Amino acid sequence: MKRLAVALVAVVAVGVALTGCSSGAPSSSGKPSILIWADTPRIPQATEYQKEMKGKVDVKIETIAQADAQTKISLANRAKKGWPDIIFGAPADTAQFKDPSNGYAADLTKLVSKKIFDGFGEGNSDCLYDGKYYCLKNDLANTVLWYNTKIFAQLGLTVPTTMQEFADTAMKLKGTGFSAGAYGDQLYYAAFLQSSECPLADLTAANTVRIAPGDSKCTRVAKTIQPLLDAGVIDKRSPFDAGFIKDVAAQDKVAMTIGPSWWGDFVIRPQASWNVPAGEIAAANMPAWGTGKDNKSGAYGGGVFTVSSHSKFPQAAADAAVWMTTSNWMATAATTPTFPAYGPANKLWEARISKDAYYANNVYTAMAAGANNISQVDRPVRFPFNAQFGATLSADINNGKSLSVALDDYAKSIQGLAPQSGYKVVTK
Amino acid sequence: MARSRSSRRSLLAGSIMFAPYLILLLLFGIWPIIQATITSIGPSIVNPAGGLQNFADVVADVRFLPALMNVVVFLLLYVPIMIIVVSVMSLLLDTVQGRWNLPLRLTYIVPASMTGATAVLIWYFMLEPSLSPYQSALHALGITQGNQIWRQGGLAWIFVAMAFFVGAGNWIVVQYGSLQSISEDVLEAARIDGANAWQIGWRIKLPLIRKYLVYMGILVFAAGLQVFVEPQLISGSVYTGIAKDWSLNQLSYDLAFQSNNLAGSAALSLMLLVVCIIAAIVVIFRTDFFEGTGVGKK
Amino acid sequence: MTTESIVLPGRGEGIVRTRGLGAVTGRVVVWIVLAVFGILSIIPMIWLILAPSKTGQQLNDNPPFSFGSFEQYGATWNNLLSQNDGIILKWMANSVTYTASIVVISCVTAVLAGYALAATTLPFKRVLLIITLIAMIIPPVALVVPLFVEISAIGLYDNPVSVILTSSFYPFGVFLAYIYFSTSIPTELYEAAKVDGAGEFTTFFRIALPLSKGLFGMLAFFSFSAAWVNYFLPYVLLQSQENFNLSVGLGFLFTSSPALNPLNGAQQSLIGRPEIALASLFLAIPILIVFIASSRLLVRGVLAGAVKS
Repeated sequence: MKRLAVALVAVVAVGVALTGCSSGAPSSSGKPSILIWADTPRIPQATEYQKEMKGKVDVKIETIAQADAQTKISLANRAKKGWPDIIFGAPADTAQFKDPSNGYAADLTKLVSKKIFDGFGEGNSDCLYDGKYYCLKNDLANTVLWYNTKIFAQLGLTVPTTMQEFADTAMKLKGTGFSAGAYGDQLYYAAFLQSSECPLADLTAANTVRIAPGDSKCTRVAKTIQPLLDAGVIDKRSPFDAGFIKDVAAQDKVAMTIGPSWWGDFVIRPQASWNVPAGEIAAANMPAWGTGKDNKSGAYGGGVFTVSSHSKFPQAAADAAVWMTTSNWMATAATTPTFPAYGPANKLWEARISKDAYYANNVYTAMAAGANNISQVDRPVRFPFNAQFGATLSADINNGKSLSVALDDYAKSIQGLAPQSGYKVVTK
Repeated sequence: MARSRSSRRSLLAGSIMFAPYLILLLLFGIWPIIQATITSIGPSIVNPAGGLQNFADVVADVRFLPALMNVVVFLLLYVPIMIIVVSVMSLLLDTVQGRWNLPLRLTYIVPASMTGATAVLIWYFMLEPSLSPYQSALHALGITQGNQIWRQGGLAWIFVAMAFFVGAGNWIVVQYGSLQSISEDVLEAARIDGANAWQIGWRIKLPLIRKYLVYMGILVFAAGLQVFVEPQLISGSVYTGIAKDWSLNQLSYDLAFQSNNLAGSAALSLMLLVVCIIAAIVVIFRTDFFEGTGVGKK
Repeated sequence: MTTESIVLPGRGEGIVRTRGLGAVTGRVVVWIVLAVFGILSIIPMIWLILAPSKTGQQLNDNPPFSFGSFEQYGATWNNLLSQNDGIILKWMANSVTYTASIVVISCVTAVLAGYALAATTLPFKRVLLIITLIAMIIPPVALVVPLFVEISAIGLYDNPVSVILTSSFYPFGVFLAYIYFSTSIPTELYEAAKVDGAGEFTTFFRIALPLSKGLFGMLAFFSFSAAWVNYFLPYVLLQSQENFNLSVGLGFLFTSSPALNPLNGAQQSLIGRPEIALASLFLAIPILIVFIASSRLLVRGVLAGAVKS
């Protein structure tokens, strides 16, 4: 009996000890303390902020997988505790977070000075809902045309300026062993569907979404791109696929590809990735689908920082989000492959990248040309718009289904999901 | 009189001894089921009125049918493969007594240590033709690209492979243990009757361990029905989102924490739970596995 | 012809003569099958042990079973330590604490409850036993979402106690203990003790417990093997990284690092494939050691020994 009692007491003691350890005591000095959740690429800037704030604000950093942002906030909402003070995520995450059913996102309009919002210009439009700002844009990830000057010279190609020229140029690669890129992931949407302004998340009213894969702006995409896929001049694999990298990209066989602004430093250049030699890669303006205003770019990435409405230190949290998106440090660090959305930071970033000898031309020009010309037809929505790419659109493309079937499958899946998040769906 | 006092004391002591477990049972066995039942008929984001409509809504969800199909295909592959391979391997193991027996058993349980993320990492490397030690075998099957395997039709096989290697070794050792407990007299009698090793295995040993295999089948089925970790992890890797909402359990998780529909999630959990409970009741009352334990069929 | 004599054996004189040859072939086939299955079983482990000896580049370019260098193990370990100031050490410590607590609580509660069911005059025994059997067949992940709701309602969300308590619910252990106490220990022993005037507790501690070392071993083994790799429950119930166990930590590294998802930024993180492999090894090795150490225990026992046949 005694031994049993001792054992039970010991067990309880272990439990209590663990509880004691884990309850985060508020810092005794009254110093604000904030918790930042960011994905791996944003960790260097968060760490720098932690250093700069030493003695003023206790900054705690936790890495998250970007895809987990919504679920992790939902878990915290259900538990009514455990929210981070600021979080990095996709613009669509903020659409979810600012919804009254979620309520995580704080209105930043008053917490952040007007000067900062002015500095963003159009760059922060993803965060604007009914005249209020609910997040700060980290970077603009508009698509441009990346091309290899060495291969272009070797084959005597000229840089395409329209999608038709892009297709014609790609066709000339047939039989040469060179490729016009791999599009079997989210890139197919960003490079072609979004830039073509195919309505897939078109908010025609507050809670009405138009998902219309039959629109001519959607059908023209398959019409133009399917022949390239059939001819094998573009790849059905993902641009991150180990096989594609080994067989094509790392062999310096990509003659051109449409890709977002961060691809140069992040995908094309690194040794562990495509590893394309210095002095070959240049960027040109995003090829236009049509004339006049029919020249939008798509966007792949372009994350935002959202601030918690539950934060005990709302000002410190908002300041952190401001620093993360606007600081000179972020703009000039070699670990920042992304095109800053904040104007002044962007100037510094330009100074660095435009002089980078790795590139064969000033890649900044093309990025800047498309940065404020991203299609605004599809808006951040509360249903898992991006997450469904992997399950349907790119899965179909990888499996060799036709592009129009892939789009229909995708559209069908989001048409089914949108009502669950409280949207009315229009399909025509 | 004395007897009843001692029996009352026994009752008191028994209750005290049973209490700690009973508390855990009530808290983490019964309460969640009640909780799920209440939640499942509550108001949901798509159905503010609540009620049984939540169940219909889940079934009508665009993700439900594909996930159900995936799980059915997974189970149709996984359960038979498990039962067949485990019984064959344990029967074979039982025929080779001697010093190699133990080392073989030890090698079989090695993969059991590689679960979850470890299994996903390993199978990524085993199945990526450019990195795999089985490269030539994959090429012989006409597989030269990772995405020929990592695709809708292939996923069920991949998850079967992952789950199989994690579970099979332990079960082989366990079923081998069952075979070891067969009395030598029975086997000797069969040998005298002229039965060879094959006949003994098929006609004598297998029927004797049949109920353990049925029990294993039910456990494997119940666990397979709830598959979650592997598809969830692979969706966060190279093939981003490839197995999103692939299994019913993932759908339940996403309903709760992505679609903000806790009622729907609870409804789906309950449906899965009912299937598991039916399986449990079948094994308890319709098989002879628990015979003699005071609960099984009389 | 030889295969025929294995598959279709008869009783006639003639066939008995060919059985010599057939039996030899049969044994060869048996050995080949056993050996191939063994090799297939250990290939992944060999790969996993070799992987952290290579750099990410070598892992991709060199043959799968090549060895890098011993120094590289150190470098890989240092890279792993770079993640959030060596949080991997915290995860390991957490895994040890959680697993130890779970094993202690689950085994103690299971043995007590099993004894109560087997040897005392507990009411509703049959019902309690049936509920326990049902609970034992239902996989623990079936109730994760409702458990989460419950845990957050009682304020234990993101608290390790939630993982420890929920994982300590161990119906399989109760069943094993019940079978053990009702079959392996002769009832006369209890009866004799009670006739001598010993109470239920005295009987339990003096008679039953000293005879239960083997039972404890088996209970601890199964409890450990489930608790050490516990993923889904802690994944849902814990929020802060510093509370993760190694299994959840590894899953987190897997999805948040560039190791298998290049979008996570290879320039900003030192966590690559060799680092993931090394963390996997830390998760696998303890369980492997326990498995191998208790393989003797598994031979006669578990089902055959535990369930009366």
